Amino acid sequence: MQRGFLQFATALRSRRLLCSRCSRSFLRFQHAEASNDAGLSSPIVKLIEKKVEERNQLQTQVNALEDMGSADSKRLMKQLSESEPFWNAWQDWSRTIQLLRETGALLNDPDPYMRSMANEEYASLQSQVSELLQMTFPTLVVPPSKTAHMSAIMEFKAGVGGSESALFLAEMMRMYLRLAQTFRWKTNVIASNQTENGGVKDAIVEIMGEKAYDTMRFESGVHRVQRVPATEANGRVHTSTVAVVVLPLAEESNAEAPDDLFSMDDIKIEVMRSRGAGGQHVNKTESAVRLTHIPTGITVSMQDERSQHQNRRRAFQVLRARLMDRKLTQEVVDRRDVRRNLVRSADRSEKIRTYNYAQDRVTDHRLGLSLKNLESVLEGDSLRKILDALAKKHQDDLLQEELETS
Amino acid sequence: MPRLTRLLSSLSSALGPESARLELKWMKEAAERSSGSLRLPAMVERRLRGEPLQYILGTQPFGALDLLVRPPVLIPRPETEDWTLRLSRLIQPSPERPISLLDLCTGSGCIPLLLCNTWKPGSVNAYGVDISEDAIQLATDNAHRCGVHVPAEMQPRRYPFNTFKPMLANIRDPSFLLSAELRPPFHVITSNPPYISRQDFENLPPSVKGYEDHRALIGDPTVYPEPPCSESGKGLTFYHTIAQLLAQQDILTDNGVVALEIGFNQADDVRQIMQNEGKLPKTEVWRDPWNRDRVVFAGR
Ligand SMILES: C[S@@+](CC[C@H](N)C(=O)[O-])C[C@H]1O[C@@H](n2cnc3c(N)ncnc32)[C@H](O)[C@@H]1O
Repeated sequence: MQRGFLQFATALRSRRLLCSRCSRSFLRFQHAEASNDAGLSSPIVKLIEKKVEERNQLQTQVNALEDMGSADSKRLMKQLSESEPFWNAWQDWSRTIQLLRETGALLNDPDPYMRSMANEEYASLQSQVSELLQMTFPTLVVPPSKTAHMSAIMEFKAGVGGSESALFLAEMMRMYLRLAQTFRWKTNVIASNQTENGGVKDAIVEIMGEKAYDTMRFESGVHRVQRVPATEANGRVHTSTVAVVVLPLAEESNAEAPDDLFSMDDIKIEVMRSRGAGGQHVNKTESAVRLTHIPTGITVSMQDERSQHQNRRRAFQVLRARLMDRKLTQEVVDRRDVRRNLVRSADRSEKIRTYNYAQDRVTDHRLGLSLKNLESVLEGDSLRKILDALAKKHQDDLLQEELETS
Repeated sequence: MPRLTRLLSSLSSALGPESARLELKWMKEAAERSSGSLRLPAMVERRLRGEPLQYILGTQPFGALDLLVRPPVLIPRPETEDWTLRLSRLIQPSPERPISLLDLCTGSGCIPLLLCNTWKPGSVNAYGVDISEDAIQLATDNAHRCGVHVPAEMQPRRYPFNTFKPMLANIRDPSFLLSAELRPPFHVITSNPPYISRQDFENLPPSVKGYEDHRALIGDPTVYPEPPCSESGKGLTFYHTIAQLLAQQDILTDNGVVALEIGFNQADDVRQIMQNEGKLPKTEVWRDPWNRDRVVFAGR
């Protein structure tokens, strides 16, 4: 019991949810010594408390309202109802802490039956506290994702390692297509530049579905594979890389319709290659299209579709995703200027993951996490675990940022 | 795989590496989709013999449509796709004020079908005429493929959907308007008539000359009436024919418009023909994505 509790307190501390002072005060609960709850004022608890105070002030204002129909009153009442979840969570929290204190007093009760009851009760209260601290409070504090509804475009480029890199790119693509299937997302290979031996030099894949972008976005970066290429006679291990960029794809009925992302005047549309006399004189397929967004210099070339019209539509879709990506990245940078920012915008040249065949191991360098059984990553099960852990880390970073800036 | 490499390398020497890679990919996809009826090596062989890719694949995208193509009916061109889409944005009929449209020399039916597909349901009754039975059959098949209704009757009617009626007729027959039982006036007349001069025809690439219907290409058919001597050989006969039709009373509504595809060097001649013979004073020239003159757009 003593050890279990110690672990619990230290675990909370390592999650940066409780400061060392607080975890010490948890230990004091254990010995029924705590007489006040000042020790429980971890940053997140303080923040929730502050929100509840604000809510109480709102309540006072609303109570004093004379004209319930005015625009001002409506605004206040809306604010009040929005702060309701904080109030509810705080009620839960206070009740649980109160019970914990009362139960703590019984842990050293002379009656052994009483002691064992208290122990049981105490343990369940502890898990309620941890649930509140780790789940309920953070979800209240961290603003919901603005990109949750967005689909994704994944761009792949073979890097170091030539044809071996292209072969691994093809495997990675299959890995993501399989994964998308388990999420019931629709996929579409928009462009792929195949090599003769079954590899892919570069590719663009569209992944359509709720949360597709939010889930996949942490895959941006350089992926490294270490293995003996099938073509290598003397069995030497090669290191090759594949660069991945995940772009947000807002739902669009018409990708060419200009909006806040670009104006049509800023776009140069070029058809590639000449067609001589053109028209009836020529029946060769010339469908390649290149767009240039003049202000940013972003260019998108598309040639995988047989009609110019389709290539143009695809090119606009990719351009739109790149511009949206820029906009989101800029928002993060802007926030960093205002706040001490922990949530870094992804550095796309960073090596984020290594697939090591010899050791049958996949390492995610940002998580510092190594998983055995490479096959299970490629098949998707373990990839999902990595993605979950990355999402969790992101959530924790966002929380930390909220705590340090509110 | 090595076989694929060999196919790719022979295609490469015929088409250049970039086109070879793309065409091989499209053939592969079509072979996979065909569940056995198309085999890749046979397709590549046909391509190496000079057959157009579109005939081998059996389809050609046109705007949002995926049309059937069958030799010898002319394969829809990207230039035509571009101006048809432009026209579909320029004119926007509604079910409240539906229009009727005539496409002369309709071939695969690509122009009216794309318009039927783009415009609001119930806003257009389209008619297409062609001299070739193969073309009329293909245009009808394409209408069904695109889900466009083919009415039995000639008279324009209000339906809650768009309609397209392909008809066999010779537009150079003096009694064309009567014998085709057309019901003018039309709000829009479109055409991509044959416009290649005899001289150009001799130098066409084999994939055009050897596979596509010569009647779909040659602008000056030898049969009557002989083109005016001054411009014989410029491939303009069909524009004269069309202008004479347009000059007849009541074929075009008062604010009706005409869109005619032209060869890259025919803009000035066709404008004059439309103004002088077609009695359409207002003309503009549209360019294609490759920056060539491609359409004469005319009205009153
Ligand atoms: C250049 S093709 C255009 C086909 C289609 N409109 C397109 O844009 O792809 C010309 C078409 O005119 C047809 N044609 C040739 N002479 C004709 C005539 N005298 N009357 C009607 N159609 C004719 C040919 O059969 C051919 O289908």
